[in-house]
Amino acid sequence: MIKLENISFDHCIKCTVCTIYCPVARATHHFPGPKQSGPDTERLRIKNPNLLDESLKYCTNCKRCEIACPSNVKIADIIQSSKWKYFKKRFRLRDYFLARTDLMGSAATLVSPIVNFFTGLYPVKLALDIFFKIPSKRTFPKYAQGTFRRWYKKQHTAQTAYKRRVVYFHGCYVNYNNHQLGKDVIRVLNAMNIGVILPKEKCCGVPLIANGYITKARKNARYNIASLRGELEMESGEKIVTASSSCAFALKYEYPNLIELDNSAIFNDLEYITRYIYTRFEQGDIPAMKPIPMRVAYHSPCHLERMGGVPYTIEVLKKIPGLDLHILHSECCGIAGTYGFKKEYYNVSQKIGDELFGRIERVQPDYVISDCETCKWQIEMSTPYKVLHPVTVLAMSLAQH
Amino acid sequence: MIYDCLIIGGGISGLTCGIRCSAAGLNCAILSSGMSSLHFSSGSIDLMGYDGDHRVVYEPFEYLESFIASHPRHPYAKCGTSGIRDALFFFRDQLSAEDLELYNNEEKNHFHVSALGTLKPTYFSQRSVFNEKVRLAFQKRSKIAVLNFSGYRDFHPALAISNLRKNRFFSDIEIVTGNILFPDYGSIEKNPFEFRSIDIARIFDTEKFLEDIAGQIRREAQDAEFASLPAFIGINNYKRHHQLLQQLTGLLIYEIPTLPPSILGMRIDNALKSRFAALGGVYIAGDTVTGGAIENGMITHITTKNNGASPVRASQYVLATGSFFSGGLISDAGGMREPIFNLKADFDAERRQWHSPSLFAPKGHPFLEYGVATDESLHPVTQDGDTVKNLYCTGALLSGCNPVREGCGGGSAVATGYHAAEIILTHTGKKHDKA
Repeated sequence: MIKLENISFDHCIKCTVCTIYCPVARATHHFPGPKQSGPDTERLRIKNPNLLDESLKYCTNCKRCEIACPSNVKIADIIQSSKWKYFKKRFRLRDYFLARTDLMGSAATLVSPIVNFFTGLYPVKLALDIFFKIPSKRTFPKYAQGTFRRWYKKQHTAQTAYKRRVVYFHGCYVNYNNHQLGKDVIRVLNAMNIGVILPKEKCCGVPLIANGYITKARKNARYNIASLRGELEMESGEKIVTASSSCAFALKYEYPNLIELDNSAIFNDLEYITRYIYTRFEQGDIPAMKPIPMRVAYHSPCHLERMGGVPYTIEVLKKIPGLDLHILHSECCGIAGTYGFKKEYYNVSQKIGDELFGRIERVQPDYVISDCETCKWQIEMSTPYKVLHPVTVLAMSLAQH
Repeated sequence: MIYDCLIIGGGISGLTCGIRCSAAGLNCAILSSGMSSLHFSSGSIDLMGYDGDHRVVYEPFEYLESFIASHPRHPYAKCGTSGIRDALFFFRDQLSAEDLELYNNEEKNHFHVSALGTLKPTYFSQRSVFNEKVRLAFQKRSKIAVLNFSGYRDFHPALAISNLRKNRFFSDIEIVTGNILFPDYGSIEKNPFEFRSIDIARIFDTEKFLEDIAGQIRREAQDAEFASLPAFIGINNYKRHHQLLQQLTGLLIYEIPTLPPSILGMRIDNALKSRFAALGGVYIAGDTVTGGAIENGMITHITTKNNGASPVRASQYVLATGSFFSGGLISDAGGMREPIFNLKADFDAERRQWHSPSLFAPKGHPFLEYGVATDESLHPVTQDGDTVKNLYCTGALLSGCNPVREGCGGGSAVATGYHAAEIILTHTGKKHDKA
């Protein structure tokens, strides 16, 4: 039956504007575009699930179609939910592990030097390619030794001493791959006299949703909503912040829109980090910064665009003295989380990114700046440039260190 | 966030206003909800096409002098003829800075051909639609070939030609038709019957099949001097492709705007956004303004979907949200309203008066004239009758203008967007800084 509250596909006027702005449709004719995969064929699928078309698997869920749509159709949501509603559940070991970033992280960080060594070896990559269909050309993110949470334990008491405090959802990437980003968040916020509290958390659910593990995603989401709300109240935190744009997007928008969970308990308190920092800057709470004379190119991640978070990152970066900031025209990098780790999509993923890589090359920056960890992997793999998180750049400019 | 000037609506009017303000050094942002009507437009800029008796206006600026005197409520009347002229040529120069040239027939209107083969009077067109060579070839009554790509469903040459032949301008011109087969027809993975203008424009942008297509155009055009194609010869490198096709075929290549998405309109949209960004403007796409607070005749802040509870502030606000189609005006059984600030709107309380009985009635449909009422400085009025002094309304949102009947949609969007910017710049003391 059609749920009457979810008939946004009916508002589609077939103008095809979404297809213009779809990075996948631009890269391959195998994908008929968001209009056809979303609102056009949704009515067929409702009538008869056998009319499902395999081609909608090409969608990366970047949400650029929803930004472009003049009629407010939730195109990407329609496509995403069709993926797990209508496709037959087939167990794939690869997707199971790709979707469980926290499970993989907890295991890999125990023996990270070994894991990093092996995942860098060509024969191992070739084996993964042949048996698991993970493209051998893909560079794997390195795992850190131990977890960020473990490091944080010793910081906790000092952090609770700050009068103004925030609850920080660090996400899997900081916990298992890049402790330094988490440390930078703490350093920057501490420099603004804000303490940082870690809540209990599970993976936000982005890779689970992308790979169709919806029950598990809902379970994680319920846990996160309760835990974040609880921590915020217990620690009388001012806000919940996260420095991963896709985690923020999931916690705020994918929970209610896609996996249909009520997140009103955290919705208004949750902010992507640069927006929180910008608000503090506006109140005059600007830390002492020294000039950092670097030429940087800023790449805005799709999910931050969808949230309207990009202007805040740009305004925060503009406050850093000496920074020669070049804002790249908004383009998708192509990796789309676990999408670029799948052999069947690897070429499409790289072709989507070509436009962006070319634009970065033309700027010839010292560094690229981006808010998203998977964009970072993609750009570092596909261009000669290193990618920094905006908060890391802020931390670099802090005067007292 | 705090800006000098915040523009709600990212279409042709909002962007013109934003470019003018940014060029003068204001910190300016545009909030946009979905892509604009430029994606549905002809890609030509109409100034004034028809008079009150639905006769074609040939000299629009001259006509506007008397028109403004007799239509004080029309948006054009608020800009004045010289203001309209300044706005249009500012607009042309800004696009030219982005490598997109617009051509005009000096003081006169020219015609562009629609997808149905009707002629529309307009003032500015892109090179593939109007330029001196096109004008001369038409004067010579040269033979015309109207071509299409096999499988492309959004343009029907036979329909266009039968309408063109009915037109007295074309009565002594020979028109032939022909079909071009996509060179890669067999190997393209996708059903060619699902091609839209955008798919073919992308293939053009790769420049892969240009020579093959040129050969087919030459053959299908027989000995015509003119060959028209549906408008999709590239989005990014269209100038180069247009030139190359003309060189390879030795013909004048003409573009006819298709059903949406309009590639001609998208080129203007791209150029305007790129110009706005180059001048330091911030374009925030995909957000929706949910409301605004007005105190003592001034907007204090607005709220948006993405910003939730935290307000967005500016010292000056521009409302360029368009008409019914773009969501700037909303109609329901009870009447119509402006959804963000609930501004006072002009409309007929009697619902039966909103439209003419015939769809193509020469006097048009009255509802197209409905919109927000403003004073001379484009300030609107609240339902309580208070003027909002830091808000300016521009474009299709305004009342008193019937873009279909008068053929003035693009011109009034550009002119009022520019006019609002000029007033804002006078207020902020930046009037004389030009880009």
